[in-house]
Amino acid sequence: MSRSGFLRLVAERLGFLVLTVWITTTVTFLLFRLMPGDPTLAYLSPTFNEETRTALLRSFGLDKPLWEQYLIYMGNLLQGDLGTSFLQRVPVSQLLADALPNTIILTLVALSIAYAFGIVAGAFLAFQRGRGIEGFAIPAALATRSAPEFWLGMLLLAGLAFQLGWFPTGGAVPPGSNLGGVVDRLTSPEFWRHLFLPALTLVLYLQGLPLLLMRATMLEVMNDEFIVMARMKGLSRWSIVMRHAARNALLPVVTAFALGLGASVGGNVVVETVFAWPGVGRVLVQAVQGADYPVAQGAFILISVVLATMNTVADLLYAALDPRVSVGARR
Amino acid sequence: MRAARAAWRFLRGEPFAFVGAAIYALIVVTAIFADKLAPHDPREILRVGRRVARYLPISPEHWLGTTSSGRDVLSQLIWGTRSALQVGLTAAIVVVAIGTLMGLLAGYLGGWVDKLITRLADIVLSMPFLPFMLVLAALTQPGTTVVVACVALLLWPNTARVIRSQVLSLRERAWVEAARVTGCSNTRIMFVHILPQVLPLAALYGSVAIGWAILAEASASFLGFGDPNTVSWGVMLQEAYANQALGRGAWNWFTPPGLAIVSMVLAGFMISRGSEKLLFPKLADK
Amino acid sequence: MKRHVVAAMAVAGLVTSLPVSAQPAGDPVRTLVLLAQPQAALPQEYQAAELIAAAWRQLGLQVQIRPLPSQQFNQIVWYERQRWDTTTWQMVGRPERSDPDELTYNLFLSANIANGYNFVGYNNPEYDRLASAQREELDVAKRKQLMIQAQELVNRDQPYGFMVHPKNVVAFNKNVWDEKSIVDQAGIGARNTWTWLSIAPLGAQRDIILNSVSTPTNLNPFNISGAQGSWAAEITWDRLMRIGTDGLPQPWSAEAVTRPDPLTVDVKLRAGMKWSDGRPITIEDAVFSLVAPGIGDKSPMYKPFVANIANVQATGTDTLRITLKKPDAAFLVSSLAKLNLAPKHVWEPIFQSLQGKPETAESVMETTPVSSGPFRMVKAKLNEEIVLEANRDHWAAPKAARWIMRIQPNTEAALGALRSGEINFLADYNGDPQILRDIAKADPKIKIAEALDMGFKFIAYNHRRQPFNSTPFRQALSASIDRELLAEDAWGGAAVPSNSWVSPALTFWHDQGIEKRVPGGNVEAAKKILKDAGFVLVNGRLHYPAGVKETTAPFQ
Repeated sequence: MSRSGFLRLVAERLGFLVLTVWITTTVTFLLFRLMPGDPTLAYLSPTFNEETRTALLRSFGLDKPLWEQYLIYMGNLLQGDLGTSFLQRVPVSQLLADALPNTIILTLVALSIAYAFGIVAGAFLAFQRGRGIEGFAIPAALATRSAPEFWLGMLLLAGLAFQLGWFPTGGAVPPGSNLGGVVDRLTSPEFWRHLFLPALTLVLYLQGLPLLLMRATMLEVMNDEFIVMARMKGLSRWSIVMRHAARNALLPVVTAFALGLGASVGGNVVVETVFAWPGVGRVLVQAVQGADYPVAQGAFILISVVLATMNTVADLLYAALDPRVSVGARR
Repeated sequence: MRAARAAWRFLRGEPFAFVGAAIYALIVVTAIFADKLAPHDPREILRVGRRVARYLPISPEHWLGTTSSGRDVLSQLIWGTRSALQVGLTAAIVVVAIGTLMGLLAGYLGGWVDKLITRLADIVLSMPFLPFMLVLAALTQPGTTVVVACVALLLWPNTARVIRSQVLSLRERAWVEAARVTGCSNTRIMFVHILPQVLPLAALYGSVAIGWAILAEASASFLGFGDPNTVSWGVMLQEAYANQALGRGAWNWFTPPGLAIVSMVLAGFMISRGSEKLLFPKLADK
Repeated sequence: MKRHVVAAMAVAGLVTSLPVSAQPAGDPVRTLVLLAQPQAALPQEYQAAELIAAAWRQLGLQVQIRPLPSQQFNQIVWYERQRWDTTTWQMVGRPERSDPDELTYNLFLSANIANGYNFVGYNNPEYDRLASAQREELDVAKRKQLMIQAQELVNRDQPYGFMVHPKNVVAFNKNVWDEKSIVDQAGIGARNTWTWLSIAPLGAQRDIILNSVSTPTNLNPFNISGAQGSWAAEITWDRLMRIGTDGLPQPWSAEAVTRPDPLTVDVKLRAGMKWSDGRPITIEDAVFSLVAPGIGDKSPMYKPFVANIANVQATGTDTLRITLKKPDAAFLVSSLAKLNLAPKHVWEPIFQSLQGKPETAESVMETTPVSSGPFRMVKAKLNEEIVLEANRDHWAAPKAARWIMRIQPNTEAALGALRSGEINFLADYNGDPQILRDIAKADPKIKIAEALDMGFKFIAYNHRRQPFNSTPFRQALSASIDRELLAEDAWGGAAVPSNSWVSPALTFWHDQGIEKRVPGGNVEAAKKILKDAGFVLVNGRLHYPAGVKETTAPFQ
């Protein structure tokens, strides 16, 4: 693809990303305004009266007509203002800023390990095509993908944390530690001890896809003519696999990684809930359960934007890496 | 009849697909005879004297013990097959129907229809699945309808994409051209000529969608947005979790429903993996 | 043809009425829907609802339990008061409820039927009179008599089906903390302000590390945080008075509080107190703290607590006088022990800057809060933990070094953390008490402290909808509830039977033995009450008395 062609693709994709984000945020706004229930319900107490209720509603900006709320909402969004939590009375952006690094670390760590393992194991299995190990390894890979993530988490928690006591039962840092910043956390062994079980759960769940994908594409690539040629030239089987086949087979896996990153940020909700991992997913679940619309809305928008962005990145990555792809004839 | 024989021949040559189909068969039979197989009413609060029969261990009377609210675990597990099949099948049918229709329209008609559907699919794919389901469940009534609706609304693009590319190649075939020349309408070509060709592929995606729907139901239930009035594996796990079965070490309660989910989802995967040779003959040549 | 139908109907009518030919029946009672929160949210209440529904079915009723997610549940019960039949509900214990006035006045007063706290719609002028009289009665002995009369009246009318008073079950690590330094507060239990002040370390670990199952809300002196946030707020900010371990108000930042007449309260401030920024606490600060919530609508949650204050005036450098609009027996508890002392030099400018904006003082976040309490805020990551450190300069400085609250929404994980030593005070436990007892039995370092709570769990009957408007019907429903079974099996023994909104934990005000005096008292008696009131069983299904039509649409 020509350079200008690629730039055009980038522009087109970015334009589409903006459109997607706009549609998502609008749908989100409408969804949440239609939600039943009144946020002031969270404050019920015998001293709660109509006057208190009206004052609270006004402070939430809920006394205005819908279209006006929408304009304010969009205007605020553009300035990065996601509103104030109904329940916690703190800016939503701050709650999310606290949570996002935890989610990203968890996701990146788990995804990297899962993909590293999946790629190696997948290549190995492609190599072992038709042998007995397939009959065990493939169902095993499929089975971990079939298990509900929270159930895997429950089993790990019950076994490794409750009964054996090897790992902490939840949270991200030991009590009262001053691990505020991302760098502090990443350099603390305690943080990694807390990260272990949620990450392991995710790895178990995520490794199946790269493994199977790698295996399938490897098998496909190994059938290609240039491999057959190389073989005829007398290169060893291993070096063919590593130098030629694997390199080509990696392309879809890399794309899947980018897609997986986007999807995991949203899919982590259950794992974060099981392990009380203070990430965006748990913030969302708690907010939905407590009807804290601004927080639920903000978390949902954040997750969607990450997902849409990573989808775009995956598209561009695919186009940049694969010379066969041309504009307009993807897939 | 001939189809049945062909299916049987296929299954015999495909151990994965065979195991998958066997699991499905077992679940279907259990679901049909659930009321005969289950030793107790799954919702009945069992008593010992005046007191509630809580946390009874495994015994000949209760093969998998009882729950914290005095219900028979085995009976719940057996009845859970009904809800699993109901959720799985409805979701799969809806997803496949929408996905196939969209893929067919996009692939065959091309042009702005294609563009519109592809864009729509892209937008839908950037909606995070679980979060969307949570929000929708909180908005309306928690339960299986929301789960099915979410699976249908958000997962059709996967099927649509595959069907679309399949249709793209079918469209260029000589017999389609022939049909067009003899004056067949587009509708007729799409639904009479092309549709039967892509249905096996669609059905395969359906078997995977069953799995997604069951996992989705389990996750929604676990987070407290399931239908508490149904007996499902997801609700069982959530009840076990909420009532601290982990802390009590009540493995007899929280392991079986998880295994049941795994086996049913796995069955769908195995059928589709097993059929990979059927679908991608290129791979089977090797 | 027509004649046949008529004849058949006549025969059918004859047959159905045969078993009870002595008593003509009205319409069958519709299927009653019992609302509850999902099992995931409140497993104990849900199980109680199932047991109660089973009992009501024995009376010939058709009962359906309808679990709703908390938001919809609250919305329907609170704002759609015509719509529902009956529901589970609870009132929780709080220090300021140590005086029964708040609940007595709000729960059953007819003035609160439309949109106040009388959400069931109980209307009895005699009760209204008693509730108002006790509020204005400053003579404790006389007030007690009025409280007993009110409880007897409610027992007769059964506006609620009371279930249980829960016990507060907490646990701590006795290798870390001296058992004897943990104190019990009446109706609150071992997890209370006094414990946080007196708890004494045995070794090197001097941090109180406790858990919370829910996320606290913004902490500032003008926001009423949720239950868990209040634990932190109570020790971060001082108040003129505090509720003592006996449940009675005692001077705290005030040296003395006197009431020369029913409308006047005189306060003398303790000397030598300082804010965390080093400035002294002045009488102006105290006046400001009592007045600020009432200015405009910038502190909606605290405003009701100052609504009865007509005027606050500094009468000297360390004295002030409060004038009330109406006599209020519970003023010291509900207001002076509730309002936080806030520094005027910080908050007056904030209140001014909020004028004309929609935001309230509740959502104001301070980077370093200026407070005066026995602990100071160091860190507030609301989704992870709140860290307070001891204020060594406080006149009642705590023995512990820090107070760390870990946010741990998962009960199982909290238990695991207690066993592993991650936390040393299990302060927030709503799980199965038996599991905790088993753990304590197996692990010698864990000690449980159970104490009766001042809250209560109940079934609310909607008096706006028949048949709940019938007193005998409500009596029968209440009589059929087996409270011992609920306490044992639904609450795992961590509860006692209830038949009053005044918990036995409030020893002075509780009407002794009232839980044994539910009219009827069991299912058989309940059937008799219904029969005497004219309700009729037809083929096992309960019908209204003769002539009564079912006019109420079933809950959808």
